[in-house]
Amino acid sequence: MNFTRRNFLKIAALTAGATVIANKLPVPANPDDTPSAGPNEPLPHISTGGLIRPPGALSEKLFMAKCVSCGVCVNVCHVMKYDAVATSPFGKGGLWGIFEYGIPHIKDMRDFPCGLCMECPKHCPTGALQKVEKENVAMGMALIDLGLCFGWNGDVCLSCSKACPLGAKVFDFYNGEWGNQPFINEACVGCGLCVKYCPLGGSAIKVVTKKQYQNVKASYAGEFRKLLAMSNEERYNIVYSQNLPNIMGRGKLIEREYR
Amino acid sequence: MSVSTDRDSQESGVRSQELNPPFDKGGVGGFFKWSFLRRFVLLGIIILFLLQFFRMKVLVGGLTGSLAVWSLNFIDVFAWLETLAASKSFTFQALLAVLPVIGIYLIFGRAFCGWVCPMDFLFELVSKIKSRQLPVGAIHESPVQKIKARAQHAVPLQNIPPNIGYGIAAALLIISGILGVPFFTRYLSHLTNFFMVFNSSVFLALDLPVSKTVLIYSGAVILSLILLEYFAPRLWCKILCPVGTTYGLFNKLSLLKLRFKEGNCGECNLCEQVCYMDVRITPYLDQPGLRDTNCIYCGRCVEGCGTKGKLIRMNFKSP
Repeated sequence: MNFTRRNFLKIAALTAGATVIANKLPVPANPDDTPSAGPNEPLPHISTGGLIRPPGALSEKLFMAKCVSCGVCVNVCHVMKYDAVATSPFGKGGLWGIFEYGIPHIKDMRDFPCGLCMECPKHCPTGALQKVEKENVAMGMALIDLGLCFGWNGDVCLSCSKACPLGAKVFDFYNGEWGNQPFINEACVGCGLCVKYCPLGGSAIKVVTKKQYQNVKASYAGEFRKLLAMSNEERYNIVYSQNLPNIMGRGKLIEREYR
Repeated sequence: MSVSTDRDSQESGVRSQELNPPFDKGGVGGFFKWSFLRRFVLLGIIILFLLQFFRMKVLVGGLTGSLAVWSLNFIDVFAWLETLAASKSFTFQALLAVLPVIGIYLIFGRAFCGWVCPMDFLFELVSKIKSRQLPVGAIHESPVQKIKARAQHAVPLQNIPPNIGYGIAAALLIISGILGVPFFTRYLSHLTNFFMVFNSSVFLALDLPVSKTVLIYSGAVILSLILLEYFAPRLWCKILCPVGTTYGLFNKLSLLKLRFKEGNCGECNLCEQVCYMDVRITPYLDQPGLRDTNCIYCGRCVEGCGTKGKLIRMNFKSP
């Protein structure tokens, strides 16, 4: 082969390209790391009810009409070192899911929750995000999976309430024999900081949209009241036969499973 | 070393001989000033946008909408019109963002297309590559080259009426109004998709949350625009792109324009041959200036002119 400088450069470029591509390929998962069975996220029977929008977003329809996908909020979030906002892909709702493309949302609350710095609504050039106070943000609503939370299963944890930027306003505690039993009330703005700081593998908290919360409110509150009213023996059975094995299995979950 | 210099001289000789209008627009050079400045401005803007990934508050966002020095918002004029059509409501923030842009382009006209738009640079690269690939002779012509040569003459661009661009822009506004989303700006715009590729690839490299489908879709849009440029040179800029059409309207009022001095014209027609946007220049040489909505103030006519910048000038004040 005639080995000239041009050939050398070609080979060098191809090697570099192949290395880059090979590094980006998905690595086969280690079977020891992945859980053998069981759902990967808290409250698997409740869906998120759509994407979680950045703070101060207009109503969903108006937000879709106003946002021009310029990426200011995404990059403002990067500059503020939160990296929470990402551009949404095509949605799953059939043909209409196409319209969800390109609008910002909070993608990964387990790793990158919104810090409520309120810079993206301040700098949105279209007015799709409106300036609001921290307390009046309505991004979503955090729901605790009562079967997975340490505080509901014989422990005192308090991590979520320490992480919450609104603090005592949001958390109600029902202290009892089975732990400190946290419950998030409707003052929650859905920033997702508690999701990140939950020590359970894969988090015991799920953030759903405000609209979805209205749908699941009744059943969720019913579950909560049932647990509070339960007798000690029943509670003992539930905790030791169902919840604790789940929690122990969760410990093996790998981080960053959303991505 | 000696071999390569031989080949270079041959190629340049062939290029200067075979000026084949309107397809060979890559090889004419000369007076380098405007193109140099143009590339400098584009590179500067891209570098300023790159600084946002180092968490510097200089220029944040993309060319559809951006935030300068953490205080001043900009939004593209056509994007603003689309949000108005889609939402049928008005926000004060958007007005504050669009006014500086309108101010800038009332001074500079359609200079956005030639000086700021990144697609202009990519399209210029494509036309440079194409001018090298022109069939030189029948001897070395491979089948691939034959197909390429045929494809280059495939789209009869001269037959498309120029005013159809306004129709397309109006149709896109109506579609946005019906669907309730800024249709062009979000899905098809070269600016949005270019910066989507730009931002998402950096985020992917930094292991930050980003959807890969966004990167794939936007990359596909940009690649298809480059393919379109290969087969139909500047069809996008001249007719299809509503952003350019909107900025073209500013040309009617702008301070910056092409101005002509009397006399000296050798009627070589070089200015029109090097023009990317097929602006007719020679019929207007007896007038003091030219206000064509297609002119992007790239300065190639100034550089290509046989009088080396004496006849055609591009400035704010009359000569």
